[in-house]
Amino acid sequence: MYTLLSGLYKYMFQKDEYCILILGLDNAGKTTFLEQSKTRFNKNYKGMSLSKITTTVGLNIGTVDVGKARLMFWDLGGQEELQSLWDKEAPQQGLPVRGCPACGSAPASAPAQYYAECHGVIYVIDSTDEERLSESKHAFEKMVTSEALDGVPILVLANKQDVEACLSIPDIKTAFSDCTSKIGRRDCLTQACSALTGKGVREGIEWMVKCVVRNLHRPPRQRDIT
Amino acid sequence: MGGFFSSIFSSLFGTREMRILILGLDGAGKTTILYRLQVGEVVTTIPTIGFNVETVTYKNLKFQVWDLGGQTSIRPYWRCYYSNTDAVIYVVDSCDRDRIGISKSELVAMLEEEELRKAILVVFANKQDMEQAMTPSEMANSLGLPALKDRKWQIFKTSATKGTGLDEAMEWLVETLKSRQ
Repeated sequence: MYTLLSGLYKYMFQKDEYCILILGLDNAGKTTFLEQSKTRFNKNYKGMSLSKITTTVGLNIGTVDVGKARLMFWDLGGQEELQSLWDKEAPQQGLPVRGCPACGSAPASAPAQYYAECHGVIYVIDSTDEERLSESKHAFEKMVTSEALDGVPILVLANKQDVEACLSIPDIKTAFSDCTSKIGRRDCLTQACSALTGKGVREGIEWMVKCVVRNLHRPPRQRDIT
Repeated sequence: MGGFFSSIFSSLFGTREMRILILGLDGAGKTTILYRLQVGEVVTTIPTIGFNVETVTYKNLKFQVWDLGGQTSIRPYWRCYYSNTDAVIYVVDSCDRDRIGISKSELVAMLEEEELRKAILVVFANKQDMEQAMTPSEMANSLGLPALKDRKWQIFKTSATKGTGLDEAMEWLVETLKSRQ
């Protein structure tokens, strides 16, 4: 009887947790997107004023509940130098692994699991920055070809669509066309959005939820509620 | 009705003091940072045995800032100050590559504490005015920060003696703590 009731309770209230990485070049609007989604999906959340958001050199986190799924966002800094933190398993160029003579440990050897542990990736592109589009494509290529991300759904957000002179979705798709073969067998959607006004944010997140739920290769983390 | 007014009043004027800890190994520059934030100038410091505590007001937000001594023998006492902490400023000497491993293990041990589960982590990569200072990504890797999954963290390049980076860091801290209230 207890098992039945606790099972029912769990069925009603337990959330499936999915981890979503938000990546992209610096100034693409990753943190703004995260704050906007938190404000849109959490009723009582009083977000940071979007105009006050500065460069991220580190990690921002956020949780959003959509139905039975709980999305945990990891928003990582996008500056070139920080891209090595996205996936530390990739060999780092120019950064020798320094051991620590005092305690004998090698500090840089701790495994990073952002790629291995995430269930989905949101890749944010600044649609107004035509100059850095190829740089963004390069970072995107490097990310999709990473083995640790095999089969993980990717949502490409063409951000800043509220600016008039921005690249359209077809423009961006053309620029990224030679990546299509590398995307492989996985869900991938290019979505127009404006993190500042919130246009396209809900659609993007709902698509992401649908994909991570049906992706059987990466089952959700279930946190027991007691 | 009274509750309504008082909630408006407190949202306009009332500010709970934010409790900030400044931690880090000895010689990282914690005390210099504290007084740079409070009085805006570089003071001559001696190694802190015990703690310094000051109230710093920044953008209408009051901070109660605790600077705890960082020598090996007194690091175990840090944990006595952990409760109700809103943010930890972890100061690292960017040139001290020899002791970055120790800095890392102190940080890791600190972040495992239940009382600090909700605290925001701000790393000050201090002494950036020196040549051969570590870059933020080097620092993040050496401190094992990419292993953190459920905590907001950010690195700032600072130089307490030159006063660079501190304003940005405080600005960020204010905005972040405001949105958390």
